[in-house]
Amino acid sequence: MIFTVLKSIKVLNPKTYFNDISDVVICNDKIFSICKDFKTDVLQQDRQINIYDCNGLTMSPGIVDMRVNIGKTENLTAIQKIAAENGITSMVILPNQTPKLNNPSIIDHIKRQSENPNLTKVNIYGAATKDDQGLEMSEIGLMSEMGAIGFTNGNKSIKNSLVMRRLMSYAAMINRPIIQHAEDEDLSGLNKASTSLINGEMNEGEISTRLGLIGIPSCAEVIIVERDIRLAKLTGASYHVAHISTRDSINVIREAKKIGLKVTCDTAPPYFALNETSLLSYNTAFKLSPPLRKEDDRLAVIEGIQDGTIDAIASDHRARSKDTKAQPFSAASVGASGIETLFLMTLELVHKKIIDLNKAISLLTINPANVLKMKKPSLEKDELADFIIFDENCPDVINQNNLKTSPTPFDRRKIKGKILGTFINGQVAYMNQILKDKIIK
Amino acid sequence: MNKLKKIMNESFFSSPVKLSSNHLLAIEGMKKSEIQKLIERADYFANLDRHTNTKVLQGYVVLNVFFENSTRTRVSFELAARRLGAEVINISLINSSIKKGESLLDTASTLNAMRPDLLIVRHPHSGAPLLFTDYLNCSIINAGDGRHEHPTQALLDALTIKRRVGYLEGLKISICGDIANSRVARSNIHLLTTMGAEVRCVAPSTLMPSNLENLGVKCFSNMKIGITDADVVMLLRLQNERMTGTENPSEREYFKFFGLDEAKLSLANPNAVIMHPGPMNRGVEIASALADDTNRSLIKTQVEMGVAVRMSIIEALNHTKKK
Repeated sequence: MIFTVLKSIKVLNPKTYFNDISDVVICNDKIFSICKDFKTDVLQQDRQINIYDCNGLTMSPGIVDMRVNIGKTENLTAIQKIAAENGITSMVILPNQTPKLNNPSIIDHIKRQSENPNLTKVNIYGAATKDDQGLEMSEIGLMSEMGAIGFTNGNKSIKNSLVMRRLMSYAAMINRPIIQHAEDEDLSGLNKASTSLINGEMNEGEISTRLGLIGIPSCAEVIIVERDIRLAKLTGASYHVAHISTRDSINVIREAKKIGLKVTCDTAPPYFALNETSLLSYNTAFKLSPPLRKEDDRLAVIEGIQDGTIDAIASDHRARSKDTKAQPFSAASVGASGIETLFLMTLELVHKKIIDLNKAISLLTINPANVLKMKKPSLEKDELADFIIFDENCPDVINQNNLKTSPTPFDRRKIKGKILGTFINGQVAYMNQILKDKIIK
Repeated sequence: MNKLKKIMNESFFSSPVKLSSNHLLAIEGMKKSEIQKLIERADYFANLDRHTNTKVLQGYVVLNVFFENSTRTRVSFELAARRLGAEVINISLINSSIKKGESLLDTASTLNAMRPDLLIVRHPHSGAPLLFTDYLNCSIINAGDGRHEHPTQALLDALTIKRRVGYLEGLKISICGDIANSRVARSNIHLLTTMGAEVRCVAPSTLMPSNLENLGVKCFSNMKIGITDADVVMLLRLQNERMTGTENPSEREYFKFFGLDEAKLSLANPNAVIMHPGPMNRGVEIASALADDTNRSLIKTQVEMGVAVRMSIIEALNHTKKK
């Protein structure tokens, strides 16, 4: 029996609205006790007890990151480790890797391969269609049995309306959500079949005009969201829009929620922390999909977070090699790293007094779990001990040179907060020296 | 007397320009005074007898690196550099290293290792010359990048107008055609608005970039209105290689609504001049006869002024670096 005792830690548990300073005791993989003034002498007879003085620190359920791309050159185990270091205890990976995660055996394989009690847990979205054109439904029932928790075409929109209708209908039958990257690819110029000359590179507007880059109109997002909501209504499906970025789409989702449709959405830190003006020096770290939008859209994302229209915040991690980013903007790859900044940038919303800490933690933990119909993480007696310990006020600066994935769109940003420890299944998956030094016994 | 005054001007008042940057990447952000000085200096070079010794840049190495096809711009830069006495090496990278898979930055580092003094670069991607500045130690001139800017073209256009009309401030200048795909248009818009001209942009709505009016211009989709009373009509080439077939139904329809012909030109100022950065699509953006009308068309003067303007810029960058 191994006991870990966290003395006088602020426990934040959004599921039960619990928010108080307590002593938390972990035994093996479960939470043994959360109480005031735990007497450690009751445990004396046991072999190993680690007691930490956590005064001034906060504890919350571990982060559920609902959107992580594993790139061609990335190693899943390495990403699991980095995720754990950054407070993510559970992450969902996208199917658009090589090979594509589009059949039950590969889902099973990845599940087994990623199983490691000390690393971030891996969940998988299965590919909604077998092929890249998005025309044939994958074996989503079988994949679901192997543990796929939702279905999506990753960074491509499910374009064909009939295919989408069938997918939604079938997914509703097996009670799994459909996750959509909402972008009209003809309009954004990403559909290679219709044109190879106009490749949307950034948000359309004054900045794209000044830079001479090809614009993607912001309505390319809402066009797909609006269609899909009508299909969700028709089929009764759970429909989730990933990395939402425009005011119009958020408005449409707000209305859909009002009439009781099972429609949800998430966003990612770039969309509430940055806008298209970041691109003025052609910095390819800001070449994202969806593209960074206008300031008004950024404000709408914040409003959506505040009023609950936006259910969750995901990292939308899509790390890219330096070689593919050190290119002229048009030739550079799309995407940026995210798992190392997800928690810090969400905490920034708290420091800017946009939301409170409880809300921020909800957006990163129980809300994504809820959207994906996963068990809601909770800090209660006998619950699985997947949690993080952090200092919410520790000042720091995000520095690309200190990060393990690149490029970050938040290089040199001053932030407050630091993950000090991540526990997965009651075991230390990551512990910062600051926390290690707080051990009493 | 006039001749004496001219010589006085040349010898006493014209000297190399110092710029605030080691590079010429874009007109946007340039100061009015800098533009003015570059044009004045270019005017001085344009007035010189072609055989005057201007070889002040002996031993200066210029790499003329073109990632995109070009005849007039490449030759114009080469002539300008040679007249200043510089050594010019032309490198066409349209088919070579890029196809071999070498990254642009490896190409840049390779070129840098040859220690040039100046790199003149044309690239199909907007912003590429700016990226080069991170990897090369020499000065860089943007000879056209994607749809972004073509600063030397705007400067030579300004010199051409100034020599014909005498001034830029307050002139009504209509830039007509494929604005969306045009780097020439963007550079001209920035330069002419900085110099106080009234700039109008005329294009079919499918070729008008969004929020263009935020750059300080007036936008028109009716050419007849857009060029009414104009002092200068600048035409742009329809860049078919950058189009998808959804911008424009046909060339003949384009010519009907946006091609410059006698009837439309009659609405402009009676003394209005016609400009085109070339190469022209005769019968598409301009009626052939108008292109050849030496009284109104400044198209050939533009080419001639190109050399003088580029001399002024190359000299200025050398002068700036010395400082």
